[in-house]
Amino acid sequence: MKRFPIVLAGAVSALAAVVGLHSRTAAGHAISVGPANAGSANGSAGTTQATSPPTTNPSPSTTNPSPSTTNPSPSTTNPPPPTTAPATAVARTSTGPVEQYGYGELSVRVTVTGNKITHLAVPTLQTAEQYSQQLAAQVIPMLTSEVLKAQSINIYGISGATYTAEAYVTSLQSALKNLHFS
Amino acid sequence: MEGLRFRAPNPIDRLPMGRLATGHHHGGAVAVVGRPGRRDRSKNVGARAMVSVTFEPRSVNPRKSKLGARLTPEAPAPRPWVRPVALLLVGLGLGATVGVTLTAETLGELKAPGGIAIFLGGLTGLVGMYLALVMVLLISRIPAVERVLGLDGLVRWHRGLAPWPISLLVAHAVIITIGYAQSARAGVWHEFGTLVTGFPFMLIATVGLGFMVMAAVISIRAIRSRLRRETWWVIHLSMYLALALSFAHVIALGPSFVGHPLTRWVWSVAWASTAGVVLVYRIGLPIFRSLRHGLRVVQVKKEAPGVTTVICSGRNVERLAVSGGQFFSWRFLVPGMWWQAHPYSMSALPRPPYLRLTVKNVGDHSAAVAKLRPGVRVAIEGPYGAFTRHAQRHTTAVLIAAGIGITALRALLEDLPSSAQPVVIIRASREEDLCFRSEVTELVKQRRGKLHELVGPRHQVLLDRRSLPQLVPDLLTRDVYVCGPDGFVADVVRLVGRLGVPEEAIHHEAFSL
Repeated sequence: MKRFPIVLAGAVSALAAVVGLHSRTAAGHAISVGPANAGSANGSAGTTQATSPPTTNPSPSTTNPSPSTTNPSPSTTNPPPPTTAPATAVARTSTGPVEQYGYGELSVRVTVTGNKITHLAVPTLQTAEQYSQQLAAQVIPMLTSEVLKAQSINIYGISGATYTAEAYVTSLQSALKNLHFS
Repeated sequence: MEGLRFRAPNPIDRLPMGRLATGHHHGGAVAVVGRPGRRDRSKNVGARAMVSVTFEPRSVNPRKSKLGARLTPEAPAPRPWVRPVALLLVGLGLGATVGVTLTAETLGELKAPGGIAIFLGGLTGLVGMYLALVMVLLISRIPAVERVLGLDGLVRWHRGLAPWPISLLVAHAVIITIGYAQSARAGVWHEFGTLVTGFPFMLIATVGLGFMVMAAVISIRAIRSRLRRETWWVIHLSMYLALALSFAHVIALGPSFVGHPLTRWVWSVAWASTAGVVLVYRIGLPIFRSLRHGLRVVQVKKEAPGVTTVICSGRNVERLAVSGGQFFSWRFLVPGMWWQAHPYSMSALPRPPYLRLTVKNVGDHSAAVAKLRPGVRVAIEGPYGAFTRHAQRHTTAVLIAAGIGITALRALLEDLPSSAQPVVIIRASREEDLCFRSEVTELVKQRRGKLHELVGPRHQVLLDRRSLPQLVPDLLTRDVYVCGPDGFVADVVRLVGRLGVPEEAIHHEAFSL
């Protein structure tokens, strides 16, 4: 054990080197790590956000898991909108409850314009670790485009991300129910 | 008084060797009765031929101060810088492993539910896997490292390190499950099921951990001592399988690797190279050497009660680099024995085309050695061992052996220069247990050393702090080589240490690997 200091010296210097290298290149890595709020297909703010904030902060929207927090718009619901449909249709937004899905939790915010789902976002996405984070970041845009295409929650699941897809659909379903979207 | 203690089995005890005429001068190195081996080897060397080979010491040319030149090359000398460099590399790897774990973590992730447990789980897992890598490298017998530490040193390090990776990896599995359960707000058992079935490569990694724990449990001393060596060995091999099964989940899920192609690449290369090192040094090199030398048993003879000498003959033995005091792992290719290799010392330097090993019958395998027939093919691994003249720190040496330890000592003695003036102390319970008596006498004489044979029951013939300095007055200026049963070696090492011999001048080798 006389030579233990050699091991220790090696360990400390390598540790310092890795941490130093990391902090120098941290900025570069951050972008690659993941668009956590990679919600909308419409290219919302998701991509420009840095890594840490999205996974972590129980962002304001998580505090209102109940469907009651839908936008003020519900009162204005006029189910039979006149012929002016596309131009005058009111955009209504609702956020579904935060769904636990084993590897994390997410909620879906949906915007319906007239009779059309026009925008989807994931205001809450919190995962336990990097792998699930990356997986969700990959899967959510796919789910979003599927829903926008199908204009309903009847979409094909994504193999390898069954739980994520289920949570996404469940949260979306509640949000759409709030808007009385059929 | 002392004269009674050290029963002199023959008049040579305590006499300067030079005065004795022993009549063991052979003109040549090897006396072969029957057909000469060199011509014969094309026709299945010694298959049934009556061959009698003697390994009597070669005579010394009195006009040259040098002893008879070696007939085979010496094993490469150990490089003293290998040890600090290897330790530094191990330290660097450890630091880097901790480093990539720390930097993969963000403060936010730590604060999230289960974040701390998941971080600790990742850290224990990665450090555990890194130490497992070091364990594999230790036991892979990298020649440069083996020459410095000896195979028994490698095994000792491997054993000493073993509890760390095992406990870290078990802790990893437990802590990370708890972390995920906290994060998903689920029960631990439920979360365990989710982790194993839901995440990629987690099922095989869990199976791998099972194998690892099993292999670790059977290596616990109390349990291992109840198992046959072969049973233990076969089960222990599943460690390799366990590590292979665990590899994928580390790369696919480890926070240090997901989204970090560089660390992923470095980690994969490190493991691939380790696998390569194992394949080359534990499988490739032994097969190459075995094929190159094509050894066969030519003679099996009883050396002493329960002690058997086997002489093998092969091709290119004159190119087999080996030092006196080293050993091979021998694999006798006959039904029932071919699948296990056992370490036995060479009891003399090779005499091309012959090698000699001497075995004490202590187990099934060594007992079966006595029944080997001439013509049996032999595969070898090695040579291994740092118990050679390269270990010397001083010019002179004292060699102490008990029981079957005489084999390695006899070969080492042959490799010592005359300047070593070796004092040889041989301990035996009965006179008939003394092997190679004439050979040792001759070798000691050639080197102007002294031979002390201590024969008698252990409690009557003492080797203690009073008697040893009397036998070796200049003990502190000599290297001490000790060889024999574990208990004997431990006793003598403790004794000479207490008498003031510094640790680096004490050389010994554990027999039970």
